[in-house]
Amino acid sequence: MFAEEPPDWNLDLDGSVTCELCGEEPATMHLLRVVDGAVSHTHLCSGCAEGVAEQSTGLALVLAVPSVLRQLSKKAADEDGSSTPVHSDYEQPVCGVCGTTLTDLKESGMVGCVSCYQVFAEHLEASLEGDAEPVEHLGKMPLHGPESDALGREILRLRRMLRELVDCERFEEAASVRDRLMQLGQRVEGGQS
Amino acid sequence: MSHATLAASALGLSRNEAGTRFPHVEDASALDELRLQVGDALQGSLWEHRWCPYDLDELSAVETAYLVEQGLMTPSFAGGSGAGRGFAVYDEGQASLEINGVDHIRLLGFRSGEGLDAVWSLLNQLDDRLETTVSYAFDARWGYLTSHPGRAGSGMRAYATLQVPALMLTGRLAGTALELIKQGLALAPLWGGAGGVIQVSNLMRQGRPESETIQQIQEISHGIVEKERSVRKMVLRENPVQARDHIGRALGVAQHAWTISFPEAVNVVSAAQVGLELGVADVPGLAAESAFRLMSRLQPAHIVMEHMDGKTGCLESPEVDQTRALVLREVFAGAGVRS
Repeated sequence: MFAEEPPDWNLDLDGSVTCELCGEEPATMHLLRVVDGAVSHTHLCSGCAEGVAEQSTGLALVLAVPSVLRQLSKKAADEDGSSTPVHSDYEQPVCGVCGTTLTDLKESGMVGCVSCYQVFAEHLEASLEGDAEPVEHLGKMPLHGPESDALGREILRLRRMLRELVDCERFEEAASVRDRLMQLGQRVEGGQS
Repeated sequence: MSHATLAASALGLSRNEAGTRFPHVEDASALDELRLQVGDALQGSLWEHRWCPYDLDELSAVETAYLVEQGLMTPSFAGGSGAGRGFAVYDEGQASLEINGVDHIRLLGFRSGEGLDAVWSLLNQLDDRLETTVSYAFDARWGYLTSHPGRAGSGMRAYATLQVPALMLTGRLAGTALELIKQGLALAPLWGGAGGVIQVSNLMRQGRPESETIQQIQEISHGIVEKERSVRKMVLRENPVQARDHIGRALGVAQHAWTISFPEAVNVVSAAQVGLELGVADVPGLAAESAFRLMSRLQPAHIVMEHMDGKTGCLESPEVDQTRALVLREVFAGAGVRS
């Protein structure tokens, strides 16, 4: 069975993004504590969250999930000028296909259609800034998609693998991956898709 | 009784149709059309086994809860509303499909015990076949597009269910939760924390192939379970009287309670499983099934559907608690703590 979806999937509408403990740092962790079956929610900065976790004893269970969408909302707000009211003269991006506005996205954390990913690309990318991991899609792709896309992604995946293998000093395996990359590179240059 | 490394494995795969707006903004007629299109595909000859479609309007609250408890439907879909919603179960419960929930399509798979690889393999296959009739929304940069941008990418969320009461009781889960978050994973209680049953799942869906995510969840889950085992042994070694007392009281409740709530029943079964694994308890009635399987069938809708002929419309009625106690007494007949 599936647990209830974690609270990071729901934006807080009260707009509170400051740590509830220190009141200074931005709250990037949502701590959910279960004590004797009673559930409480707290928004904390990472420093305070670690402190709370260390002090947790007895039947307390402290859970943490990143407020990804809250960060998205905050970054988007910062870019627009954080003091900008929701209903202002500011001409915000609107998706021509589904009518979703940037305010809608900030409030609900949801986009309305495929086109929204282009219309709000800048804001969506901003939410991923600072991620250490590469964010290109590296997983499964539709069978009926263009093979050139598959080739491009395979190259990205192998490049990442090569980087990690070199970091781990697994040079023999790295050489094999490099050779494979060169083969794929030649296919691209040769126009084979 | 087997000591499965993982209590259960579950996986969800979100997809959307490229030419249709996402369910929360789309017109009812377009969503109905999509539901019919997917419904036709499920009735076609693409599949090795049969899809069984459900009419959501015909399902009672108990029947819906039963599907959720079985891992065939997500709680959010069960509690949702809107146009064009559909639901179907594949191969008598091996997988299921939600239509027009938060996204157009969500494939689900669930297994007791360890089996994330097997669930992924099946869902991947079903996904490939569905794609022959539905054009998926996909972007080279973002992957599979979803109504929540944070879920775009693989569109996959994998869940490993673990029973870790010793870690929870000794307050050791807090640090683990913070460690997991740094690796893009979440740790959440399945039944409000009852029985120390938790789920480890992935929050990140981008920048990593599905197989790597599954492997990561399995490896981390195995590590947590090993930690749980060592803490159980430590608790018995350092507090033998209290540990036996805790387990013995649980067996006493299981054998003599005439009415019991679901959370208390899960706590009792969890304590009994700890006693069994540590070799300080005998529960002959648990020889043939896992503790998690027993916990699952003690859920309210399971009790009503499997022991009360689905006759009561109320999952929280006193009769449900009484029937649950009866089931527990039967399973725990002859159980005892070794001295």
